[in-house]
Amino acid sequence: MSTHPMVPGEPTKTGTTMLETATAAVQKFGPINGVHQHLCAFHFYGHDMTRQVEAHHFCGHQNDEMRQCLIYDSPEADARLIGVEYIVSENLFMTLPDAEKKMWHSHEYEVKSGVLFLPGVPGAIQRQDLAKVAQTYGKTIHFWQVDRGDNLPLGLPQVMMALTHVEKRFNVNFDKERENRAYMKGLEHGIHPLANAGGKGLKTELREVDCHGGAGAHATPRVFV
Amino acid sequence: MASSDEKPGLMPGQEDGTIPGKAMTVGHQMVDKGAQLMQSLKPINHMSQQFNTFALYSHDMSRKIETHHFVSRLNEAFARIEYIISEKIFQALPPDEQKLWHSHTFEIKEGLWINPRVPGLIENSELQTFAKSYGKFWCTWQVDRGDKLPLGAPSLMMAPQAENTVSKELVKKRDEKYQISSDTLISSRSNIEPPEILNSFADHWKISGKGFAIDVLETDINTIAPFP
Repeated sequence: MSTHPMVPGEPTKTGTTMLETATAAVQKFGPINGVHQHLCAFHFYGHDMTRQVEAHHFCGHQNDEMRQCLIYDSPEADARLIGVEYIVSENLFMTLPDAEKKMWHSHEYEVKSGVLFLPGVPGAIQRQDLAKVAQTYGKTIHFWQVDRGDNLPLGLPQVMMALTHVEKRFNVNFDKERENRAYMKGLEHGIHPLANAGGKGLKTELREVDCHGGAGAHATPRVFV
Repeated sequence: MASSDEKPGLMPGQEDGTIPGKAMTVGHQMVDKGAQLMQSLKPINHMSQQFNTFALYSHDMSRKIETHHFVSRLNEAFARIEYIISEKIFQALPPDEQKLWHSHTFEIKEGLWINPRVPGLIENSELQTFAKSYGKFWCTWQVDRGDKLPLGAPSLMMAPQAENTVSKELVKKRDEKYQISSDTLISSRSNIEPPEILNSFADHWKISGKGFAIDVLETDINTIAPFP
């Protein structure tokens, strides 16, 4: 079992590995077994377009109109889990309250530009699924800011956005695929004006609140002797 | 604009708790299957353990939920993510960061935390390690309040730290589902020790009486990278 060089802590001991092999054999992993697709894309921070992160999505379908993805910083076994993304059809997106729509981003440009792709899958096959992705919206939250060198998931969750217009540095490698995807229809109603934060930035802040009925909120901490 | 402690706006949808959206067509399933055969999913295949416990919302500790880790699920949704670190690593974190983390000793010793289907002997050797660890736990889908889709800002979750934080009925229901007895676990775990750290800022709400909510706010967006 490998240890990511950037994550602090001792390498996993043999005993732990053996235990985990044993538990993996007897436990059920329902939601994990539903993950069946690897999708690669880029996200940028909601408040800072210049900070861009390579995002490896491992996705499963809840139904034809809703997917959910675990996001890792690489496709390797020791990849760091950095966030989640939820992906919904245009129809489902339209049912969201307006304030909610702002936190979601469109995928049309990412797909049609070739930036979003399925590693290892031949073009003709991946385009069948990506044509659907081009007509969806995503909500992405990252918890671990690996791009600034954090070796632990520090700070607050970040709402992430995706490319929605020409970004010159990515065009060079994706021209051919862009031609192949030119046939894809985008969103039926076009990009909703509230999506992609309506063109603004998004940031997260922490606020202290009263605990609300937490039994033990003022209890004496137990001391185990 | 959005806050983890505010009720989201109304949405249409069915009342039976299922996620809205049409079922996958056969054609789509086949495309999916085809692609799946060609890809390796290393980070996912790497997951090897599952445990189940209870958690509370930091901004509203009257709301308790049963959680399933490594991926937390309710109706098979990826609703929450928790990171777990050793006490040694936790100790090096600054106080403001520590306040976002919680300790695990109490929920383990109280029998709230279980490893489904793993025999006790195997389980206990791991539990001492977990009992000295700290967790940082975010919820992105507040399923327990009936959200049909993942709405609102992410919320911070906390772990139970005192008796009766989680109702006896909730625990009994969980015990019946997994055919275990929390009371038996409490005795078998009496030797488990807490972390040795003093002056930790984890579980800070116990002293301050305050939890945390998260706000997502509009702001200017930076589009120019700093000059290297």
